[in-house]
Amino acid sequence: MELNRPSLRAIGNEADHDVVEQLALLAELIQEFASSLNLDETLQTTIERFMMYMDAEAASIFLLENEDRELVCYKCVGPVDIAGLRMDVAEGIVGKCVREQACQMVRDVRRSRDFSATIDHSSGFATRSLLCAPLSVRGDCLGVLELVNKRSGDGLFDPKDQTLVRVLASAAALAIHNARMADSLVEHERLRRELELAREIQRKLLPAPHAPYFPVSGVNFPAYEVSGDFYDFFRLPDGRIYFNLADVSGKGMNAALLMAQTSSLLRCLARDYTDPGKLLERVNQALCETASHGMFVTIVSGYIDPQSERICFANAGHQPPLQRGCDGSFSEIPAGAPPLGVTPETEFPVSEVSLAGGSLYLFTDGVTESLTAERKPLDVAGLIGLIERMSELESSDQLENIVAEIRRPDTRQRDDITMMLITSRCHQLSKKLMERRFPAQPERLQDVRAEVRSAALLAGCSAGVVAQIVLAVDEACTNIMQHADEGDYSGEILLEIHNNGDELVCVLKDWAATVDPGRIQPRSLEELRPGGLGTHFIDELMDDWVFDEAPQGCGNCLTLTKRIT
Amino acid sequence: MSFGHRVEKGYAVVELRGDVDLARSPEARALILQCLEKKNDLLVDLSEVAYIDSSGVASLVEGYQMAKKEGLKFGLIGVSEAALNVLRLARLDQVFPIHADLDTRIADDG
Repeated sequence: MELNRPSLRAIGNEADHDVVEQLALLAELIQEFASSLNLDETLQTTIERFMMYMDAEAASIFLLENEDRELVCYKCVGPVDIAGLRMDVAEGIVGKCVREQACQMVRDVRRSRDFSATIDHSSGFATRSLLCAPLSVRGDCLGVLELVNKRSGDGLFDPKDQTLVRVLASAAALAIHNARMADSLVEHERLRRELELAREIQRKLLPAPHAPYFPVSGVNFPAYEVSGDFYDFFRLPDGRIYFNLADVSGKGMNAALLMAQTSSLLRCLARDYTDPGKLLERVNQALCETASHGMFVTIVSGYIDPQSERICFANAGHQPPLQRGCDGSFSEIPAGAPPLGVTPETEFPVSEVSLAGGSLYLFTDGVTESLTAERKPLDVAGLIGLIERMSELESSDQLENIVAEIRRPDTRQRDDITMMLITSRCHQLSKKLMERRFPAQPERLQDVRAEVRSAALLAGCSAGVVAQIVLAVDEACTNIMQHADEGDYSGEILLEIHNNGDELVCVLKDWAATVDPGRIQPRSLEELRPGGLGTHFIDELMDDWVFDEAPQGCGNCLTLTKRIT
Repeated sequence: MSFGHRVEKGYAVVELRGDVDLARSPEARALILQCLEKKNDLLVDLSEVAYIDSSGVASLVEGYQMAKKEGLKFGLIGVSEAALNVLRLARLDQVFPIHADLDTRIADDG
């Protein structure tokens, strides 16, 4: 054993030297893949260097294309340029390498049944031996790395060459795979940006948030980037308000495009009609001419007369709107016709309702089919429950809160969620700007005036109007302090100020003995005397005032109304 | 901010300041009536009045009426914008003699 050691070491050193050299080359080539910004060039130089190192006559990289049915020469070096050459995966040794996902080493092609001589015939090149390795990543074959004709020795490749080709093929495969991933990320990013743009365009098709206390408000939360739901409302030149809420069949871009088309048609045509049924007939005909096969739109579309608070609308296959009466009762108003885009001969019957102090709720099935905490669909009954809980809120807050309940953070939203609320004037009152309860004592007035001043400014009143409101409220408080309970009132005054959009409404309540409203009259100014000016001031300064018994028959209530602009 | 008064060039001048509301009009009324009781011709200076309501205006009306009854002169001087708006509302700008200041009033008295 001792004697043999030096010779073994000598052999070992020679083998080590080879391995070290191969590893150095591979490390260098792999490093180039890793740091490459241009895979095309890197692959080209890699196979050039590899071909030299392996002492081969030619080398090439084939990639699979055409759903993996064809191999296309992507890079090549050697006497014949075969770049772009296509061959069937079913053919040749390169094809076999893909089919079997294994290295192929053919020491003499003349003795291989798999060898295809097509290229040799057309190029005049003489292939003697071949070494191919599949370009595989996680079991997926991307193509083949091929070496042709060893120059040195017996002109044949050996198993050592095969190992080297396999290692380099793996590294090249990984580099190609990564480059493709990067490309697809770029493409993905481009699509994402396009979707974002589409979403932005869609958002702009929805009506801008209206002045507060407009009778219609709506919300729309798409489940995906783009929505198939939409809603719209706007005032027409004749004072009526047009509204619609719709759901386009399907999801994604197709639905979004049909949504844009339908919404634009309605926006253009709404002003030319008074009958919502005739409007839908017209839009239906247009959609039937152009809409893709199998796509349709369910919609509720109608007009509101803000004076009479009567609403006429037509329903094309959509979820029945829910009417909430002023007594809190709910009723569904069912659909009268099939959806838009199904058949051009459809007629759309018109329903007419009166708000009469109540509200009308429109919604898409994304609302009623959303899942509750118990993983059951919300349904109309569940929606009614939510409405009842939120009914005290101002319209848009109400919708936001209902949707917040529906869009559970623990559940992926499955469908677009869209709701619209049409409310009677009496619900549009009011956004409370202040509420203050204070003892009916004159020294409180200064603070009260300061608070009223802030509230009126907050509501957007001009300095002149602010001063008028402050004086009127002061006079009303003074009246209570001086005259309630025959001047003996020692209770409290409750002052509330509401903004109902166009008007500031100040409500003053006392708990004194009720006063006959007929006794509260502004006096004539002809008569010059110190007292009784307060009521005259209120009458002069306010657009409207009502003195009445307080609700529940306890005390008095004075309501002062002043237009903000 | 309490109200002030002085006697100048034959007039008692009552200076009302700040807010003249139900909390402070009794003080204004007392001051005005007190001057008139001393048989002084009276001018009420409203230049520093930030706010006045019907109770404050009522004190002026009472002073005006008492002066008339007693045969004394009465008037307002330096009426602030805030006060003038309220006087107009009560149409009292047409009733009270109003001057820019004491000297203008005296010049007008001839």
